[in-house]
Amino acid sequence: MPIVEAKALVKRYPKPGSKKEHFLAVDGVSLAIEPGEVFGILGPNGAGKTTTLEMIEGLTDIDSGEAFVDGISVIRDPNKVKEIIGVQLQDNEYFDHLTLADLLRLFSRLFRRDDDPKVLLGRVSLEDKAEAKPAALSGGQKQRFSIACALVNEPRVLFLDEPTTGLDPQAKRNLWKLVENLNSAGMTVVLTTHNMEEAEHLCDRIAIMDHGKIIAEGSPQDLIMQHAPEPPEARLHGNLEDVFLKLTGHALRE
Amino acid sequence: MEMTLTMGRTLLKIFSRDRQAIFFTLFFPITFMVIFGIASTGADDPIEIGIVDNAANQFSARFIETLESRELFDVNVGAEEELRARVVDGDLALALILPERFDGSDTADLTMLVDAAQVRQSAMLTPLVEQALLDVERELRGIEPLFPLSVVDVQARSQRYIDFLVPGLLALTIMQISVAGSGFNIVEYRRKGILKRLFVTPIRSGQFIGGLVLSRLLITVIQVSVLLAVAVVLLDVPVEGNVLELLALIVLGSSIFLSLGFWMGSLAKTQQAIMLLGNLITLPQMFLSGVFFSIEAMPELLQPIAKLLPLSFVVSSVREVILDGTSIAEQIPTLIGLLAWLAIGLTLAIRFFRWKEVAT
Repeated sequence: MPIVEAKALVKRYPKPGSKKEHFLAVDGVSLAIEPGEVFGILGPNGAGKTTTLEMIEGLTDIDSGEAFVDGISVIRDPNKVKEIIGVQLQDNEYFDHLTLADLLRLFSRLFRRDDDPKVLLGRVSLEDKAEAKPAALSGGQKQRFSIACALVNEPRVLFLDEPTTGLDPQAKRNLWKLVENLNSAGMTVVLTTHNMEEAEHLCDRIAIMDHGKIIAEGSPQDLIMQHAPEPPEARLHGNLEDVFLKLTGHALRE
Repeated sequence: MEMTLTMGRTLLKIFSRDRQAIFFTLFFPITFMVIFGIASTGADDPIEIGIVDNAANQFSARFIETLESRELFDVNVGAEEELRARVVDGDLALALILPERFDGSDTADLTMLVDAAQVRQSAMLTPLVEQALLDVERELRGIEPLFPLSVVDVQARSQRYIDFLVPGLLALTIMQISVAGSGFNIVEYRRKGILKRLFVTPIRSGQFIGGLVLSRLLITVIQVSVLLAVAVVLLDVPVEGNVLELLALIVLGSSIFLSLGFWMGSLAKTQQAIMLLGNLITLPQMFLSGVFFSIEAMPELLQPIAKLLPLSFVVSSVREVILDGTSIAEQIPTLIGLLAWLAIGLTLAIRFFRWKEVAT
């Protein structure tokens, strides 16, 4: 039985500059993610990746369709779902004047737990930053701290929204290692990215999204086999980026 | 409850580490109080007047002495030319010319030099000068006043402007830190994505609001108490009423403005919008609610509206308790006004503060 299941999710937003017309940010997305998988949602900017994730997390209302986490309906029981998921948001800030340890203690209490912030920070290699403020962290450290915050409730599923965007190669590799470690300990991970290398490296399965729809789904190898351009169009051998560009086109997105 | 307290404690910790916020919320009201306190403790400056003594006899000396004995006047005796020039310069409010025959033997005309441009001031001063002349005349003729007037202060204590001002400033501070505490903070937390981050934890909107309200109420009570202590210790402002009642009023007033702040914070999506909306709602009240001068001193047309503003009810109840020692139980209409505004504020806050919408 899938641990995360989305059935024909739809999200409508008003068209910019128009009150009557709507566009479909997410247009009938269905997903079935198995326990222990690292599942990647790929897509260009504006494809609907974040909206899909936020509907499953209960952050955004589901206009039509259904979502379940561990069999619990997000629509009917959003608070029960929040108890068993960990969420890392795209670049959010934190309260001023609180240290990493203060913040982790707060999040921990909000889940009615009393975990030692040092242990959580140790899991993301930030144990020496317990008394630092988030503003003083580097990009990679910020992302690792975000993940530490998402781990306070020992979640069954960890959602990561573009976790490596803007990181340098070292920080990126470091974060991959962290995700691999969490996953090998049994945690299901759902992440969005537009980094092909990341999807190829981390994900067991991938869904490629564009214009609110899933246009391809499968393991990185399957997708390359199915969609990579034939030589001589491809370089020596096809990679996932070729697949991505073939499927979503070469036009620039904002 | 446990979550509410966790949230409240955390917000208190944040505030206690925010030295700038603590400084600025106390700095302005204390500065105001001290400046007005110093200004109203010093006696009024005497009015400079000039006298040209052409008689130079015992009666004129007696007259000058009478005027000088009144603390209201500072008398300059000199030559007419010189004093006239000083009146023109605005240095003297007026100059009196005593005639040579100023001895009570016959009617003698006095001339008063004034600057006609200062009509109001001369109109106020003339009766005072006439009164001094009358006193001298009575003395010369050896008669007692037929209708002696004795003045009794019914307040039974003198009220300085600072005494009037302090309760107003306390109420103003309650409004400002409460609106900032809920409205401005919510917009800031949303901008930073903090509300969104909290929304993906099991905390409910009621628990978050409860924690914020508890922490802000405590902060308001502490800050207003510090201001009141400064007023009592440094400026000798009397507190006639019950301190517990005063605390209850601070909490009630703060609750009104916190809930109005929640409403504003839910409407405004950006920092600029909340600044505008906050000013739109607090600035008129600052001037119309009797903080710096009594509502009765305003144009008749504005008074009925001004009296219905939420800050007016807070100002008047706090002022009554501090200055007159009137219990809240004796201020039924004001109390009804306060409770009505609390109901309006809560309704607006609940109607507009939707956790999911405000957070995302």
